[in-house]
Amino acid sequence: MTERADASTRSARATRAFGAANLTSAALVVFGVFVALPARWWPVDIAAAVVSALLALAGAGLLARTPWADRASRAASFFALGLGLALVATVALTASYLSGIYGPVGRGGAIILVLVAALALPYLVVMPAVQLVWLGSRTPVPTPRPPRASEKRDASAP
Amino acid sequence: MSAAALARLFALYVVALAVACASVRGCVALRVDPAHPAEIVATVWREGQPIARAIVARERDADDDPALTAARATPGAALVYETVVAEGPVLARPELVFALSIVAGVDGVKARAKDGRVAYVTPDELLARQAYDKDLTIPELSLSIGTDVPLVLALLAERLDLPVPELRDTATFRRVRVVRTLAARPNTPRLAPAPPPTPATLRADEVRAAALDAARYLARGVRADGRFRYFVDAPTNRTLPGYDWPRHAGATYFMAQAAALSKEPELADAARRAASLVRDAALVTCGEARCVGEGDVVEIGSSALVLIALVEIVRTGIDTSFAPLVKELAAFLRTQQRRDGEFMHQYDRHEGHPIDVQFLYFSGEATLALARAASLTSNAADLDAASKGLAHLVGPAWSFFGDRYYFGEEHWTCQAMDDLWDRAPNETALDFCVRWNAFSRGMQFGPDDTPWDADGAFGVSPIVTPRLTPVGSRCEAAVATLDAARKAKLPKREQDALDLQLRRSLALLLRHQFRPGVAHLFADPHAVHGAMPGSPVDWQLRIDYAQHAGSAMIRWLEVTRAE
Repeated sequence: MTERADASTRSARATRAFGAANLTSAALVVFGVFVALPARWWPVDIAAAVVSALLALAGAGLLARTPWADRASRAASFFALGLGLALVATVALTASYLSGIYGPVGRGGAIILVLVAALALPYLVVMPAVQLVWLGSRTPVPTPRPPRASEKRDASAP
Repeated sequence: MSAAALARLFALYVVALAVACASVRGCVALRVDPAHPAEIVATVWREGQPIARAIVARERDADDDPALTAARATPGAALVYETVVAEGPVLARPELVFALSIVAGVDGVKARAKDGRVAYVTPDELLARQAYDKDLTIPELSLSIGTDVPLVLALLAERLDLPVPELRDTATFRRVRVVRTLAARPNTPRLAPAPPPTPATLRADEVRAAALDAARYLARGVRADGRFRYFVDAPTNRTLPGYDWPRHAGATYFMAQAAALSKEPELADAARRAASLVRDAALVTCGEARCVGEGDVVEIGSSALVLIALVEIVRTGIDTSFAPLVKELAAFLRTQQRRDGEFMHQYDRHEGHPIDVQFLYFSGEATLALARAASLTSNAADLDAASKGLAHLVGPAWSFFGDRYYFGEEHWTCQAMDDLWDRAPNETALDFCVRWNAFSRGMQFGPDDTPWDADGAFGVSPIVTPRLTPVGSRCEAAVATLDAARKAKLPKREQDALDLQLRRSLALLLRHQFRPGVAHLFADPHAVHGAMPGSPVDWQLRIDYAQHAGSAMIRWLEVTRAE
């Protein structure tokens, strides 16, 4: 009984933490793309709109502990992770292309690319990955079945 | 998803991405092999224009080409070989990627039509047409990058006799790296070029010669009324539109510096005429004082730089009749100063009061101007105003979270600090300048950091051609800091670091100065001899390019001579 209560408490805390993290990520994506970027470009805008909407939905669902929160969180995590990996791949391939054209990208260029990656990685790769693991491992705790008579007997045997 | 499954996914992703990156890089990187050139584009140039052209297998084959031979016989013609030493694939779409795939000043483009015919656009052609750094302009950063793709396509289409859309859709494009060789005139031995200046070999006499060539270039452009040839397109020698009093004043200051160094009357006369033009055409009243500018609202930057120029003209004895104007302009600048040392950068002539706004550079310029003026006027108020201005610049004006990690482009403060050192030393200002230069060194390119000859330039991106004007202006500040550091007996390692920073930058400026530059690409090489380009590929010459570089060289000569 004590164990079940602890698990429930941990789960509630984790659920709230992931809910808040999803909402924060959604807000950061909206800010980064629709406020900080100086120009509009539909591939980036649409991807950002979809991922921020999914993250916001998942965040709200987790905080409200709705029945559909798991499904929304899983969808948001997969989409964000896919987007994050695509972004990292694009940055890496661009750097490789430019490095092939211009030679070594240089310290300055490397710092810029690392900063770009660092800005996106926590929200679009690390958080969705951790959330997917959390969602995957969060199987319902089985209710203990009542012991059979034979088991009772066995247990009481000397 | 389980942690193990996710870990497997990531591992797969990392391996696949690493392989893809290595493949992309390996595919587009050039393998330069001068020993086995692919083809040679032989072009005869005259007055900056190509007049005959052929693609040959060996240099000596050019002698058998009748068109080249005939063109070469024209007076003033020069045969130039651009030997293709490497080629590689590029993405021709989207246009921006294509534009960025051609390394400015170094790469050309080869197009192969469907039927196998080949055409080249070479770096010399693109330089002559000023087609590099023209595709994407970011005005907020004063930045232009990428090769002019429409021009490249138009030239290739013309050579292959194809419409541009068909060329774009059906041809294959490759970038080519070339080595340029100037053919010797018939029966004339080919002379080996002089070794380029390096930080280790930089000599005072060659710096002096370079500074004076820069000054002579500007002086040749001073008209009878004292106006400079402000903006010149080097390949065509056309004068471009635009004029600016602060830059006029800066160039006048440099004329006076160079005249004092060389004692050449032409330079002194140019300085005098340029200064007279300001007095006759740009001097207006600002309340009870006189100032420099146009319109109802004037900015103090013009008055400050004119004051710096006039002090130099009076100090060096070129024309002492400007001494009263020195006092007047100094008085105007003092009236623009706030109690905390900051300057109000505008004056409303219509309403008769200063406007308390601040722009980049002006406070530093005003502080330096008052510091220089004080040495002539012996007016304690000028010295006090300069000291207060400097204290504000290195104190409250540069005080924010992160101010130890970021510094701007402003290069006047350290000159003011050095100028005041003997009369009103400010150790906080010296510390600021030492850190400012350390920050600059952090951004200084090394020999292998970019595809260009950029050792000593400043920048953060290897795909943007380095600008040379900031090299000159940062050198002005670095020389001043070195001078003060020596007087203050700062640790030798600090002085050595400044000295090496300067040598690298000055050697770079000397290597890029048009002395004579790529002369066959200029309509009139003599007209631009001594000029300083904006970058290795920006050959539209503004007067401040030569001024900043030349002023830095002369100050370096003075400081190293004193040492």
